[in-house]
Parts: sequence; C-alpha cells; structure tokens
Amino acid sequence: MKTQWLLLSLVATASLARAGDDERKAWTILAEKIYTSTGRVIEKGMVQVNNGKIAQVTPSVEEGGAATELKVYAVTAGLIDASARLGVSLTSVEQSTEVQPHRRVAQAVDIFAPEFERVLAGGVTTVLVNPPDSNVIGGLGVALKTAGGDTLESRTVRADVALRGAIGSQPSGGNRPAFGRATDFFNRRPTTRMGVEWEWRKAFWDAAQVERDESKRFPGIERMQEALAGKLTVSIQAWTTQDIRTAVFLKEEMEREKLGSPRLVIDAAAEAWKEPQLLVRSKTGVVLPPFPALGRTGDGAFMAWNTAQLLHEKGVVVALSAHGAADLDERLAAQAGYAMRGGLSFEAALAAVTIHPARLFGLEERVGSLEVGKDADLVLWNGEPFEPTSRPIGVIVDGVLRVDPRPAPVD
Amino acid sequence: MTLLSNSTCAPCGPRALGALLLGLLALAPAAHAGNGKLAIKAGRVITMAGADITNGVITIEDGRITGVGADSKAPWDADVLDHPELVAFPGFVEAHSIRGMDRPNENVPVAPFLDVRDSIDPISFFFEDCLRSGILTINIQQGPACVIGGQGMVVKPFGLTIEQMLVRSHSGLKVVAAPRPGRSRATQAQELRKAFLELRQYLDKLVQDKKDGKDYARREALFQGKDLEKEENKKGRAQEGNASWKIDGLEMIPRGEIDDQKEPLLRLVEGKIPAFFYCDSAMSVRLALEVARANGFFANTVLVLEGDAWKAADVIAESGLPCVLSPNLMYVERDPLTGKETETFVPKVFADKKIRFALQSVNAGPQSLWFQAAQCVAHGIERKAALESVTKTAAEVLRLGKRVGTLEAGKDGNVVLLSGDPLSVTSTVQYVVLDGRLVYDRSKDVRMKHLMSGVEQANSTPGGAMENSHPHDEGPEAEGEKPKKDKGEKDEKEEKKDPEPKKD
Repeated sequence: MKTQWLLLSLVATASLARAGDDERKAWTILAEKIYTSTGRVIEKGMVQVNNGKIAQVTPSVEEGGAATELKVYAVTAGLIDASARLGVSLTSVEQSTEVQPHRRVAQAVDIFAPEFERVLAGGVTTVLVNPPDSNVIGGLGVALKTAGGDTLESRTVRADVALRGAIGSQPSGGNRPAFGRATDFFNRRPTTRMGVEWEWRKAFWDAAQVERDESKRFPGIERMQEALAGKLTVSIQAWTTQDIRTAVFLKEEMEREKLGSPRLVIDAAAEAWKEPQLLVRSKTGVVLPPFPALGRTGDGAFMAWNTAQLLHEKGVVVALSAHGAADLDERLAAQAGYAMRGGLSFEAALAAVTIHPARLFGLEERVGSLEVGKDADLVLWNGEPFEPTSRPIGVIVDGVLRVDPRPAPVD
Repeated sequence: MTLLSNSTCAPCGPRALGALLLGLLALAPAAHAGNGKLAIKAGRVITMAGADITNGVITIEDGRITGVGADSKAPWDADVLDHPELVAFPGFVEAHSIRGMDRPNENVPVAPFLDVRDSIDPISFFFEDCLRSGILTINIQQGPACVIGGQGMVVKPFGLTIEQMLVRSHSGLKVVAAPRPGRSRATQAQELRKAFLELRQYLDKLVQDKKDGKDYARREALFQGKDLEKEENKKGRAQEGNASWKIDGLEMIPRGEIDDQKEPLLRLVEGKIPAFFYCDSAMSVRLALEVARANGFFANTVLVLEGDAWKAADVIAESGLPCVLSPNLMYVERDPLTGKETETFVPKVFADKKIRFALQSVNAGPQSLWFQAAQCVAHGIERKAALESVTKTAAEVLRLGKRVGTLEAGKDGNVVLLSGDPLSVTSTVQYVVLDGRLVYDRSKDVRMKHLMSGVEQANSTPGGAMENSHPHDEGPEAEGEKPKKDKGEKDEKEEKKDPEPKKD
C-alpha cells in the first residue's frame, strides 16, 4: 500500500516541472514582440531575467541556445486582477460590526486555494484580494502574487493595500429589523442604501473629530484617519450610477469640509459610463467588473461595452478585473479582449490589466510593467495578447517559471 | 456555462416581438431585392471551400448562391451590397443547442413523439442574438433530462413563425446515456434498453395479432372508413433497419397501423432519423455505443459530449462517429490524492485523433461560436479545422452539407459580412444575408448600440445632486470650477477663500 502511494505521488510530481526549473530565477526570453506597458513596443527583442528581477529589456537579440532560453511570440508584464475575490470564503460575514477598518482580509486568505493556480495559468501574477462586501467597511485588502513561497508574507506584494468597503445594496442586503422575530444574523443595520451611506460618513466624521472628542473612537479609527489623509487608498465597491455618485460625493464632502482628501478607487464601477465627469473631476480611479454578455451585471447595473474606452478617453485611470475567474471566456485576458471589442486600443487594454492597477494600488515600484529592476513577472504568449486566438503559454513569477511554454519532453 | 442554461427569458416576450417587428419594418426596403437577385462584393471572401478570395463577388438568385469568385459577374438587374472593407463568411452553424425553447426539458422520460417545433419560441432573444452573432443555422434539440426525447429541428434565426424559420424538420431524436436528475446511471441504462424492448414487444404483438386475426385496431380503422392499406402506399410497409433484433412478419403491417407515439422510435431503428446521443461521461459513451449498435441506428448517431466523455476519445475514434463537443472547452480535473489540478483542452484531443467534431456556443452573444473556434486556434488546432468545426463540419454533422457551411454555388444564400477576421475579438457582424435577403444591419440594431456604445448622460451635471442630499454643500459657485482643478490648485483656492488656514 505504502509503495503504491509513493508511486502515485512520484507520477504526479514528475509532470509538474523539469528538474531545476523551480529554483532557477534567470531566463532569457526572445520574442517577436515585447509589450512593456510603458508605451514602448519592441519588435524582435529580448528580456533578461536575473535573480527574480528584470535585468534587461532590449531590442538586440543574442541567441545562445542555452537551456534558459525561451522563444515565444510575445511577452507582456504579468497581469494584475484588480478585484480578484480569491482565496476567501464568501459564505460568512463578520457580524460584530458594520464598520471594521482594522480587519485584515489577509488573515482569512488561503494561499493554497487552487484558484490561485488557475488564474496563474491564465497569465495573472498579482491579485488584489479584498474583504467580502457584505459589511459597509469590511477592512484592509491585500495584494498577493499568485505563486511563490508557502507563506503569506512571501506572497504579499503589499499588505494593507486599500481600505475596502461597499456602497449599494450588498452591505444591507438581507438585513431586516428584529421586530417580533427570533434574533438572527440579519437583525442588524443598515437596512437601506441610505443607512450604508450614513455609516460611511459617520466613520469619516468620527475619525476627523476623535482628537477632540474621545467618545467617537471605534476600533480601526486610525485607518479611517489614514484614509482621510490620503495615505491609505479607499476602495469602494459601487456598481450603479447612484452608488458611484455617493462614493464620489463622500470624497468631495471630506475635501470641502477640509477633513482630508481620500484617495478613491471605485471597484465594479459598471455604470461609470453614464457620468464619467464625476470621476474625472474627482480624480477617482476605476476598476471595472467583468464584461457581461447582455450588459446586466451586479446590483442591477448595466455596463456598456465601451465603458473602458469612454473612461480612458476622458483620462480616467481604468483597471479591469475578472473577479478571479479562470474560465477561458471569463478570465482577465479575455476581459482585456472584450474591452478592445468595446473600442479600447490594445495599448490601453494592456495598461488596464498591468500598469494601471499597479498605480491605483501603489504597486508600481514592483509590478505592472517590463522595466529593469522590477519583479520578473512575465507572461509569454503564442500570439497577439488578448486575441482569443492566442493564450498565455508561459508564466514567470519572481523569476520562477511557473507555466512552461516549452513542449513537454516526449520521453 | 451550464448545459441547462437558457438565454431566453419569458418576460421579454412581448417587448421582443415589438422590437423584432420594428426591426423587420426598418429592414424591409433594403431586404427587398424585388427580383430575388443579389450580388455581394466583399474585400475578402472566406469560402470555407478552398482558398480565400480577395475582392470576391457572391451572387445569389432566388435564395441560392449562383456564383462565388473574384470574376463572378453580378447580373445587371441584381441589387448590390458593395463592401470592400468587409469580410464575407458562410455563417456559423450551431450543431446542437437546447436554447430557444420555452423550456428545454420534458418530464415524460420516453417521448419520441414530441417535437421541438411546438416548443420553439421564434421571438426568443436567443434567435436575435444568433442573428447578430452570425449563427445562421441552429439545430435545436430537447434537453438531456430524459431517456428518449422529442424530435429536433434545424432553424434559421429569422422569422416570426416556425414555418419561416424552418430549415429541416425532424432533424434527430435526443437519446440520453446520462442519468436524469435524481436517478442512477443503472436506472437510466435499463430505461434506455427497455424503451427499445417495448418497441420490439409492441411490434411483435402487432404481428401476432395480425396472424391471429385479432388486429382490431385495423378493422376498427377500416370500419371508420380509414384506409390503412392506402396509407401503406404512401408510407410503405413497416420494416426494420440494421437492428440486431428482427420482427418476423413485420412486413405484413401497413405503416399507418403503427401507433403515432411509437413510430418515431421505429424511424430511429430504421435509420430514417439520426440520434443525438447525449453522453455526460466516458462511461456513458460505452452505453450509447451499445444501445445504438443493438438497435440499428449506430451509423446515424451523433455523440453529444459533456464532462469527461472526451476520455473515451479512443473508443469514439474507433467508432468513427462524429461528435458535438461541450461548450466548456477546458476540462479541469483535480487529482484526488495530490490535489493538483490538470487542464485538458478537449477539442485538441479530438483534433489529434482525427475525430470529426462540431463546437457549441457558450452563449449566443460575445462568447458564441467564433470565440470557441478562436480558442481552438489558441490551443494549437489548425485554423482551417477550427473554422470548419463551426461551419462545414457542423453542417455535415446535421447532413446539411449540401445547403450550408460553405460559400459555394448551389448552397443556401446565407452570407455574413464581418468587419474583420471572423476569429478576431474586434470583429463584429455588420450585415447578414439569409436566403438571399438582407435581414440584419448592425447600424440599425438598437440593442447592439445600447450594449456596445453607452453614451454619457446628457443631464449629467456633476454636483447637481449634492445640494439636496448633502447639507454641508458649499453652494453652486464652487462646483462650476471643480472639474478643471487638480488637487493642488483647489487647496490654494480654498485657502484663499478661507482667511483662517486650517491647522496642519
């Protein structure tokens, strides 16, 4: 029996990677096209990776035929899913309080969840994981690599990357007053959109006043203060126009009242196309939800397929997201394609899944483009990226070849 | 993604009808060639029958293609659709779909007498979406929650009645080798075998009764003035095909004497109607092949595969049967021991084993057949084979190879004009010609415009709503300036307005 188990595990591991690949953090990638995400396209060039970092991006090719040489059609930076919703069970919601800026989603993330490997195969190397949106202010999100070490720390690109909350029907969804019924989880407030908005404003106002009035203090209020000061990005899920308005007005109210100037990113901003000026004038970044076939998406919102193009044209920083989907027709690379179908240029679509999300969440020092010194997170493509006729055939994370583009050895 | 998903929604019925009628009215002038002659000029013609043609002309007369070529001459009196910027394509063929009906499943387990024509909803949103996605031939079959389902039908996605939509009736019987919800696999297998056994017993009894002079049904019919012998001339004698079982004396029975509820299954046994045999797993493929062989319809079987049925690819290759593959192209499997996941791109397995296969759509919209074929190319299948799996091969699977699937003289006048390569994400269907009539023009597609081109709201006056909802609003004069300011400037101005700078 024991030998059988041993044999099985041997068979399983043998197919994963070639000997030595796991530790190797130096590669030379020769490509017909190198899309750097810095506005530069290099035809017939070379990317060199050394010690987990990008060492060189150059148009001059030195073919050596070494074992560490990978030849592909195109290279891009590793994709970033700006709203991945991965690795966290959504079946339970923290019910001790509606406003919990101190909670860290990182402590609930299962980095061994198979979803990470699935999105990795689709070219996603960094994901933004946020607390579930059933609380008004759910806590702190985290930016993680989809592959790497076995500890949360080794996978973290940036901890406490954003203060996350929601505006809309989700935080109050299912809640009801307790009249005459047995007490249960849903006997809580808020029960309306109005209540949700009020919770947000109260949290910000309390944070601004706590220095003078100690009675306003609540756990995590320091995080609200950081958010007010613009030191901690505020990521708010708001699908519909009315909710996007609420979020933007909240930010503007804080500025007008001189309580601070929150750095705002609206996630799942499906209806942002209706009032793009709101986002332009408030310098709000946007993460779009996956493109829905018939336009209908979360919270009853309607997302037109030209949303990304329209916002980009007006100068709004747009990132795309796949909500962690790995299916061929739903994954991030497909979303970038759909944005192009809606009129976005290839360059802008590439930015929306690489450098834009990196900038929105302060990760651009490490990821988001092919520049010397950045983390060696690369996607190797067998054709033009985001066209459904091509796919990621190789993925490198921190210099380690996680998906091998070379044909499997025959023997 | 799920098999039972149905893109149609009941509440949109009357609205859809209105929109469709409007669409018809809008298109009517252009669609009317008058003399039934149309010439389509396109920058590139992908015929799917030989090489692509640059600057080709397709001529259509009376609903049929009469010529395709670079030097094909348009009749002097034909309407001309001249689009050198567009790509002409034969139109996609959906080889198997359970969409477009009011509901895909029936709760009678053995019901070969049913016909999807009674269930198809011509104004369903599904057909509208098919049209704008360039899917011009759709084989609609009953859902898989049965043992033997009703008879399918091939339709085109245009027309307000089922007669207008008809391409071919009785296109096949749905036969299911996968357990119905709540049943076991063994029960399903037994019920499947039993259905044919019951047919056999029924026919046996007919013959015996005839021999015994107890064919009361026939006598009753004669008494009523119904001449079954004459029907015999029209329909022929009852007979079996290649089944392993045989009913001696069946040739004595006039066709008209056979119960209408049993007759479709006999037609299957006789090889007069193909089977779309649904297999949800590799193990159900074995059952399907067994039942098809035993009852004589093996040669007329198309396998409709789901789940891990692809693992039976070797057996399928040996059988030589064509397949319709699951819309879920990537099969993901988790090792029960190591937890390691492996992915298999299913069409590649079939392409490598040279099995004829057609693909199914994920939906009738942006992830329809073009997307599926494109994914095949991404995963290493030759472009030609990938395109064929959604055109030529799919048409052959439906035995409509002489009518649709390629652009050739003699075929139905179905042409899709695309803005670019059919497999590119940025290409869209601009025009659809069906039976020589222009039936779709994207510039007049209101729904498409709504979906693809959201327009910034005209009454979008940022800040307007704030005065009401926010008690702390400064007032309108500050708002007018806001859009142009960046953060730094605004702080300055606000400081100017406020003589007492805030503490830092």
